[in-house]
Parts: sequence; C-alpha cells; structure tokens
Amino acid sequence: MRVKLPLGLMIFFGILGFTDSFVPHPWAQNFHGVLRNKVLIVISVFALALGIGNLISHHVTRIKRKGPNWIHSYTTLISLGIATLIGIMGGVTGNGWLPTRVGGFKYDIQTIYFKVLVPLQSTMFALLAFFMASAAYRSFRARNLLAGLLLGSAFVVMLGQVPIGELLTGFLPPGFHAADISTWIMQVPNTASKRAIELGLTLGVLGTMLKILTGIERSWLGGGR
Amino acid sequence: MNFEKLLHIDRKVIFVLMGVAIVIPLVFPFRLPVGEQPPTRGLFDTIDRIDPAKQALMVSTDWTPQTEAENQPMTVALIRHGLARKLRVVVISFYNESIPMANQAVMQVVEEYNSQAKNEAEKVVYGRDVVLLGWVPPPIVPILGMGQSITGVYKVDYYGAGTDTLPIMKGLGSYDDIGLVCAVSGGSSPQWFLQFAQPRYGVKIAAAVTAVSAPDLYAYIESGQLSGMLGGMKGAAEYENLIEEKYHVGGRQRAMEGMGPQSIGHLLIMALVIMGNVGYFVARRKAS
Repeated sequence: MRVKLPLGLMIFFGILGFTDSFVPHPWAQNFHGVLRNKVLIVISVFALALGIGNLISHHVTRIKRKGPNWIHSYTTLISLGIATLIGIMGGVTGNGWLPTRVGGFKYDIQTIYFKVLVPLQSTMFALLAFFMASAAYRSFRARNLLAGLLLGSAFVVMLGQVPIGELLTGFLPPGFHAADISTWIMQVPNTASKRAIELGLTLGVLGTMLKILTGIERSWLGGGR
Repeated sequence: MNFEKLLHIDRKVIFVLMGVAIVIPLVFPFRLPVGEQPPTRGLFDTIDRIDPAKQALMVSTDWTPQTEAENQPMTVALIRHGLARKLRVVVISFYNESIPMANQAVMQVVEEYNSQAKNEAEKVVYGRDVVLLGWVPPPIVPILGMGQSITGVYKVDYYGAGTDTLPIMKGLGSYDDIGLVCAVSGGSSPQWFLQFAQPRYGVKIAAAVTAVSAPDLYAYIESGQLSGMLGGMKGAAEYENLIEEKYHVGGRQRAMEGMGPQSIGHLLIMALVIMGNVGYFVARRKAS
C-alpha cells in the first residue's frame, strides 16, 4: 500500500496534468482549471509548512549535536521566530494588534524587509565583484589554445557589456567594435551550444518523466525499494 | 623589472583596487555613450507597436533584492515606457520577496509622472493607468490561468482592492488583451512564460534579465520566441537612453549611473588578468 497508493496517485494526476493540452472538451479544461487553481495552491501551502518544518528540524538537530558552526543556527531560528511573530501579529505595515513602533523606531515586517533583508541580500551579491576579480586574476591563464580562446572571448564580452568598450574600440570599422563582436559571440557560438545543451536536457527530462509516469523509475518512493 | 611579482598580487590589494574602482565613479559620476544592442531595440520597438486602445503591457517582476542593481532600473524603465505610451501597465510577480520592490518601482514612476504633469489629464492614476496585482503562488497558476481570466487569478490587487472594481481591468480579460509580457527576472521566469503561456495562448514575451542569465536566452531571440531582451545593467542603460531620447521622460536613470563603476570595474578585472598572464608567461619562459 505504501508503494501502490502514491504510485497510483502520481500516475493518475500525472496523466491528468497534460490531458488538457490534448483534450479541448470543456470537462477536461474545467477539471484541469480546478486542479491548477485550487488543488495546486493548497498543495503549495503544505509545501511551505513542510519547508519551515524541515528548516526548524535541521537547525534544532544541529544545535543538539553541536555540529559545525552550530551557534549560527540560533540566529536562523531566532530570526525566523521573531519575523514570523511580527509578520503575523504586527501586520505587514504595522497595522496589526502587536505594537511595531517604539517612538520613531519602526520594526514592522515591511521595515524589516527594506532595512534589513534588502541591504543584506544586495551586499552579499555585491561582494561577488570582489571575489570574481580575485578569482579571475588567479585562474584566467592562457595555458593553451583553448584557454586562450576562452580568455579572448571573455575579454570581448566584458568589453561589449560596458560602454567604455565602445570608446576603446570605436576607431575600428563597423562590425568590429567590442559590442558587435560580443553580440556575434552571444548570437552564434553561444546560441549553438545552448541549443545543444537545451535539447539534450529536454530529451533527458522527457525520458525521465516517461519512466516516472510508467512506474519504471521509483526512487522518489524511497530508494527504489 | 621582476615580472614574476605580477603572479603574486595579494588579494587584499585586489579588493582595495576594486573598491576604489567602484567608489570613485560613484562619487564623481561621468556619463558614457551606451549605444544599443539589437535585443534592446527589439523590446523597445515591440512596446512601441502596442495599440493603447486595445492592449496593455504586463511586467512580471520576478527578482529578489540580490539582483536589485540590475533588475530595478529595468522595472522602472519598462513602467515608464508603458506610461509614456499611454498603455495600461499591469505589474505582477512570481516571488513574494519582490512584491515590495515592485510596489516601490510603481510608486516611483507614478510620482515622477505626477510631479511633471502640467494638468490633471497628464497625471497617472494608480488603478486606472497602472496596477500591481501582487503574488499568486505557484507560478504555473497565474501563467496558465491568465490565459483564461486575469481577474480570475488575481481577485484583489496588492492593496486588497477587488480587481473587478478597478478601471484598468475593464476590457483586460486574458492574454488576448496583453500586447506584451515582459518578465524582469534574476532567474528563469522568461522560460516559464515561453514554455507554458506562449505555445498555448500565443502571447508575446520579452525578457529583462541579469547579465549572467542573458546568454541562456539568445536562442529564444534567434528563434523569434522572445520579442526582445534587456541583458544586464548595460541593457537597462540602453533602454533608459532610448526612452529618454524618444519620450523625454524625466526621473533618475540608475542603470546609466551604474555604467561608470561597471566600466571601470571591468577594465580593472581585465588589467588584473593581463598582469597575471604576463607574470605566468615570464615565469614559464624562465622555467624552460
């Protein structure tokens, strides 16, 4: 039962999931509409609960076992608890019953978002510029022909991505400016390789999907037992 | 000169150089000519061809604060362009994290227009000219659902007003009434629209993505599935410039401001790579 029931449900809903693309009858369309607009949203809510549960479970276990950097797990759990409390009881903009202002100091969820989350996430991403500069300096070496081609392409694309590239290569005939060559690299070699990768990936996904739908691939049920 | 020293520049020095390269152009800004790439022109022309009497522009703001530097100017520029053309602009999002920033962008452009309006007719009204419909998870629900009914998926807007009561939604039934969906994204939301909405409902799709995501989408431009694309901050700057040239819309141009620091940053990285290679070749010659 532990195998057959989920397998049966998966095959039933899996086939229903794409029938509306092939069956234009209103019954099929309406049924798919209900599945998508009602059932899927309910399942998403369960996924959210599962995600939060997993997060809490993971960090509680790490604290119990004193795993690597376990002290940081407290930060995650305390932040999660405080943000959830303020969000649910204080309202998004501080219009709930929980006070979210002390004098001029606001701590409603909207303020936390703009004053804490946005700067933190932006800073983390901005740090990439520094690490990329260091990594590029250390690893970009023209050791052989292929590495040289990669380096040359990277240079042209980098120049093409900034206006100063146009100033530096503006004296060249049209079609040979950094932006022109960069666009050509993107449109021709890049597109050719991306298409090959995408086609391979899609065929792989289709194959795996068929294996799952027909019950051949059962590892998602728990290690194929 | 001992060129081998170029192989061993301390990373703290690189960090300081990069910091200086970014901060100086921010403190002393300079304007550079940005030109235009074909995908940017494609997006601009597609929006310019939408008939305001028949169709609206939809902007899907699927980005998080991480990619704000690139995606926020794109979002603002697209809303500016739509409103400059007197198009109805419908803003949605697939991530709840991006909703407050999308709201900020909408309100910024509304304030810009209203501060420059010479009379009431020129003013932009939220709910009549532009609306933020908010977030309905998971993405597949709105992507497919909007093919049948936009108000069926988004029953209330971001502020909780019933979408049936908003003047902007009158005559906006489904994708048939949308001239273009432009997905502003730090991830793969343009592909979701291409995968699910375009084949089934035939809606035109464009993308405004971060520079790292842009190479993934060139194949869709070549095939004609994407009507245009903004790639990274440079794409956003080109777009801001095109709008400024044609419509003379005021307001801050954050992508244009970012071109100086980005240019110097790129040049610094290239200079570092050249120095590293000079050191490498000198060391290799000595060793052989």
